[in-house]
Amino acid sequence: MSRPGLAGLLLLGLLVPRAGLSQGVGGSVAIDANVIGQALTVTTLSNLNFGSVPKGVATTVQPTAAGAGAWQIQGSKNADVSVTFVLPALLTNIQALPGSTMPVSFGATSARWNRATNNVAAATVFNPSVGTTGKLGPPANPFLYIWIGGTVTPAAAAKPGIYTGTIIVTIAYL
Amino acid sequence: MKPTRLSMVLLLWAARLGAQGVVIAPHAVFIDARTRSGAVLLYNPNPDPAEVAISFFFGYPATDSAGRIVVRTVEHPDSTSPSAASWIQAFPRRLTVPPLERQTIRLLASPPPGLADGEYWARLVISAKGGQLPVTGVADTAKVKVGLTLEVRTIIGVFYRKGAVRTGVTLSGLRTAVVGDSLAVWARLTQQGNAAYIGSAHAALLDSTGKTLAELKAPIGVYDAMEPRWALPIGALAPGRYRLRLDLSTGRDDLAPELVLPSPPVRDSVEVRVP
Repeated sequence: MSRPGLAGLLLLGLLVPRAGLSQGVGGSVAIDANVIGQALTVTTLSNLNFGSVPKGVATTVQPTAAGAGAWQIQGSKNADVSVTFVLPALLTNIQALPGSTMPVSFGATSARWNRATNNVAAATVFNPSVGTTGKLGPPANPFLYIWIGGTVTPAAAAKPGIYTGTIIVTIAYL
Repeated sequence: MKPTRLSMVLLLWAARLGAQGVVIAPHAVFIDARTRSGAVLLYNPNPDPAEVAISFFFGYPATDSAGRIVVRTVEHPDSTSPSAASWIQAFPRRLTVPPLERQTIRLLASPPPGLADGEYWARLVISAKGGQLPVTGVADTAKVKVGLTLEVRTIIGVFYRKGAVRTGVTLSGLRTAVVGDSLAVWARLTQQGNAAYIGSAHAALLDSTGKTLAELKAPIGVYDAMEPRWALPIGALAPGRYRLRLDLSTGRDDLAPELVLPSPPVRDSVEVRVP
């Protein structure tokens, strides 16, 4: 069973009243009953990892590469979701003195999405700076997968260390 | 912490990096004016704690020029907008969900006095990030290593209903075009009443005998006027005349029936010619 599927089962298990255990005051039980419904889960499957990069040479991770960032969205079958990103322009060296940065960029083909199955090769290309609207899969696979790559351009004099930043993906249930 | 030790910590954290995410239920919150409260449950199925922040804004699904459904954000809604974003609060607004535990976010509405009957909307933003750091590799401080953390913001709808609420939809401008192996379908949908039309769209391509050759079912929310585009996979269709039928109904199997406002079904159809 997939991890989100297991999570859904665990969630249901947590919400099912158990004999012999206190259910708290009536109000809290009512609220719990209200929130039982279709769950929505956005799971980060992997971060965008460039690994070690040579100084002075641009390095690109394609969305199809092993180092690409990846998400899985699970929700209502056939539901539309809007996907947008907040993308960094500079990465920060967290081991060096403040001010040590590295440019990062994202192109028109740096992201992909696929309905239902975790198959980046068959996925639809989109520009992460623009975003896209995707559709979750049918009842058997109510998933949507997203991948993102990018390009970093370390200067020839880049200080050694770990450069990092944050990509924010926003998933709006429509 | 020395760089080498920090690298070792990063290595250890990254080595046990698994899937990161928070389960959110439900995916739409309906608040009744009599109780003025609602709740969202968060569950962290992962081995690391998840940091969560909650916020609101006013927006609703609309369509862009290509017929794609997007969230239209209204940063400064005027007094006529059905916005509840400024008077619904979440408690807590920041929290950490421990591994394998659940937390409940309480929503409390404090509407202005004299609020007219109707439905008011807000979008709830749930920002979640795990405690992981992104970089893998050996602890070698002479190298340049790069990794980006992914943070997730999930947006769900919040609906505040006061008094008599009613909804409906009108359907016009139904048209089609064969695009590759799909049939593109457009229609203009306009919300009626004082509440959003939350329902389902069912498009079916029929032959001359009424047999269904292709169909598509999709949830739909109509908050204003919109012109969505759907694509029915039809494969290689023989030349001839067909009929595209579009049905809109308030049936939704992902929402409890008592939460869905009923409205009579709406139907239209149009001829499709394949040369």
